[in-house]
Amino acid sequence: MSDTALGNVSDALEETLGRLSKKPGVKATIVLDRVSGSILKTSGQVASIRKTNSSNQTVGSGSFSNNDTAAPGSSLDQGVEELASMVWNFVSSAGDLVQGIDTEDELKLLRLRTKKQELVIVPDAKYLLIVVHDTPPA
Amino acid sequence: MQQRRDEIIAKRERLAELKRQRELRASQATASRQSIGTDLISPTPSRLENRREIESLIKNLVGESLSTGANSPARRGSRPNSVLSAGELSNETSDIGSFQIGQQKAPTPQPQVLSTVSLTTIYECPPSPVKEVFSYSKGVQTTEEWIPPNRARAFSESDNEELPTATPSKRLSRRERDREEELREKIRREIEEELKATRELVTDGVLKPTSAANFPVRALTGEELKAVTQSNDFMDFLDRSTKVIEKALDQEYDILTDYTLQVVDVDDDDEQHGNIGGKGRRKVKEVVQFYDDRYSKKRMISSIDFSPKFPELVLASYTKNPTAPHDPDGIVQVWNMHLQDRAEFVFQAQSDILTAKFSPFHPNLIIGGAYSGQVLLWDNRAGKAPVQKTPLTGSGHTHPVYCVDIVGTQNANNIISCSTDGAVCGWSVDMLAQPQESLTLVAPPPAKNEDLSPTCMAFPQADPTFFLVGSEEGTIFPCHRYDRAGAKAGVDARVSYRGHAAPVMSVNFHPARGPVDLGDLVLSSSLDWSVKMWKVRAPAATSAVGPGLGAVGGEAHVTPLLDFVREDVVYDAAWSPIKPGVFSLVDGAGWLELWDITVETEEPVARISPSPRKDGRTMLSKSLNKVAWEQSEGKRLATGGIDGALTMFEVGPDLGGKEGLKNEEWTNVKKLVNRLEAVRGVNGAASVVV
Repeated sequence: MSDTALGNVSDALEETLGRLSKKPGVKATIVLDRVSGSILKTSGQVASIRKTNSSNQTVGSGSFSNNDTAAPGSSLDQGVEELASMVWNFVSSAGDLVQGIDTEDELKLLRLRTKKQELVIVPDAKYLLIVVHDTPPA
Repeated sequence: MQQRRDEIIAKRERLAELKRQRELRASQATASRQSIGTDLISPTPSRLENRREIESLIKNLVGESLSTGANSPARRGSRPNSVLSAGELSNETSDIGSFQIGQQKAPTPQPQVLSTVSLTTIYECPPSPVKEVFSYSKGVQTTEEWIPPNRARAFSESDNEELPTATPSKRLSRRERDREEELREKIRREIEEELKATRELVTDGVLKPTSAANFPVRALTGEELKAVTQSNDFMDFLDRSTKVIEKALDQEYDILTDYTLQVVDVDDDDEQHGNIGGKGRRKVKEVVQFYDDRYSKKRMISSIDFSPKFPELVLASYTKNPTAPHDPDGIVQVWNMHLQDRAEFVFQAQSDILTAKFSPFHPNLIIGGAYSGQVLLWDNRAGKAPVQKTPLTGSGHTHPVYCVDIVGTQNANNIISCSTDGAVCGWSVDMLAQPQESLTLVAPPPAKNEDLSPTCMAFPQADPTFFLVGSEEGTIFPCHRYDRAGAKAGVDARVSYRGHAAPVMSVNFHPARGPVDLGDLVLSSSLDWSVKMWKVRAPAATSAVGPGLGAVGGEAHVTPLLDFVREDVVYDAAWSPIKPGVFSLVDGAGWLELWDITVETEEPVARISPSPRKDGRTMLSKSLNKVAWEQSEGKRLATGGIDGALTMFEVGPDLGGKEGLKNEEWTNVKKLVNRLEAVRGVNGAASVVV
């Protein structure tokens, strides 16, 4: 039997992540290594999230794209890395908290709601998946 | 000799001084961080590390000088390291603070440590001031200038690099020694900082900002990245985690909604928007449509079943996609109400799946029947391929299996399968290599041809040994799995249910979960554009012909109680699991109709058509093959057909749901049945107008 589902791993990977990023409201997805924090995969406007946080007072939502295009590649990477490191540290300390409460316990899901967006983080033994999406307008 | 002794003493002094300094620092560091008091601190790993370092230092200094002056009486002065370290240990663990303070005050370090007899002789000479400590150093220990390590991150590293320096040699100049000290201090400080950081991490569980500075540990190279992202582990993780996230995103209710805030007026979209059929309490509303671009494309839905255990799960089996020869022919997708864009599970088979069903006795198992004649068993813990399948040759089926069922009890159940050549097999769930029982259905005597090709099969709720099969010629036959009084295993020749003029597409027993037993009511749909309701005779009944039964040569032909004539071929009809008078049907024109026989027997009470897919074909793609009710609440039903989309509907309170259920509904159905029977007794008509 031709097992086409496992035929092309990277295709399936792109498909899975692509489907996720196409969902309404999803701004960015990042996959990190749980142990080292290395960035394995990103999609969407990762850099813009950081920008949103730092310059939300002055910049309206319409100018995110301008920021993106203006930013050179290195600083864009910088933004991704910074965000990744912040999330990674957050997950690590959350994991420590869980371990502190019960050493046999394990962190399974983090949903971080802010006024503007939501970070959904799925930690696993080896990897972390982070999805940033807009919260439904309230 | 005196000189040697002096040297040794000086070395000791230096050592003590070093130790004092670093302990002072350490105590300051800990005191500044923790205001509780240093004497409460138990020895941490770092302290042990410090000691180890000192010990190695001592070994360098004392041990080596000992070897050089092995014959000298100064040997008495040198003590084994272990004693010294033991003294330190006891001191440190007992009361660090006081010890350190004492050291600070007294220029002569650790008299209490060096209190053995051998040392008294050494202390005959007055201890030299601190300055003198630096006058003798590693002159006896190093052959060459000590090269500082570039990066003293790990203790093992610095230790290793220090060890080779511990060889006797000519004396170094004071400047060199000072520099060495400086370096040593620097390294020590670095180590201590690192220790402090790790200790903080351990005790406080808080990462210092410095750890963020060297984040990530290192960037992966392209190849490494590829290796990681292509690993099965990674795919598994992504598969699982994206499911979780998609469910999280699909969650419509916002738990942070603040009702005290003035919200933008949200229209009650129930009446205006969406795909709605019926009115008021008999409303039918489309809830969700499941379609996967990859797996549902160009396939037809061949069966639908709700999970008996998890009401949010519904499975659909699919026929092959003729345009994708490399994809597996048969697909079963398990959809989740809370995961709308993709299937929770996708199962595969080499042949078109014609029917599939959740096992009512094991929530992980799904059984299916294939065009190839195989009966398949999937386990959602075991991946996409079936965990078991029946052989293609030999004693199993050699014709397409259109109907499978699991009957019995939790502890003793069998898979019953039926293929179009009339073969019925019973299988054990644990062993599909060979059927446990097998039976061939043949048309009873008056028929010219013995061939009987079943198209559908149904078991009553109460009896796992009796079942009905609908045949291609239009007759519904009662069958027994085993020999019983008055009837052999196989088709019961005494009774047949005749009325359909075209192949029977479905037979469905009334679920019979009420105060009145309606379990003998059967609904059948057929390609003759009709649905018929029958009253099935008890399988054990051997009594003679009753009223309304035309007796032909000892054989009873039962006619239907009620005939629902439609405008198109009817592919499926199913009783509501909750409401006694309600059933649904789907037809070739793409309509889902809901009927309530207690209200109206001529017209459906509600009808609706699934919203068409945007990219779907417009011609001949509307036909619906199957309809299924959610079993526990009876509020939702799913339907699907040629276009491969599985559509879920929710019905109003008069058509489903457990609230407001009245006993009269059952008695009303019973009364209707009695009335119909009476009317038929009078004129023997097949079709009755009420």
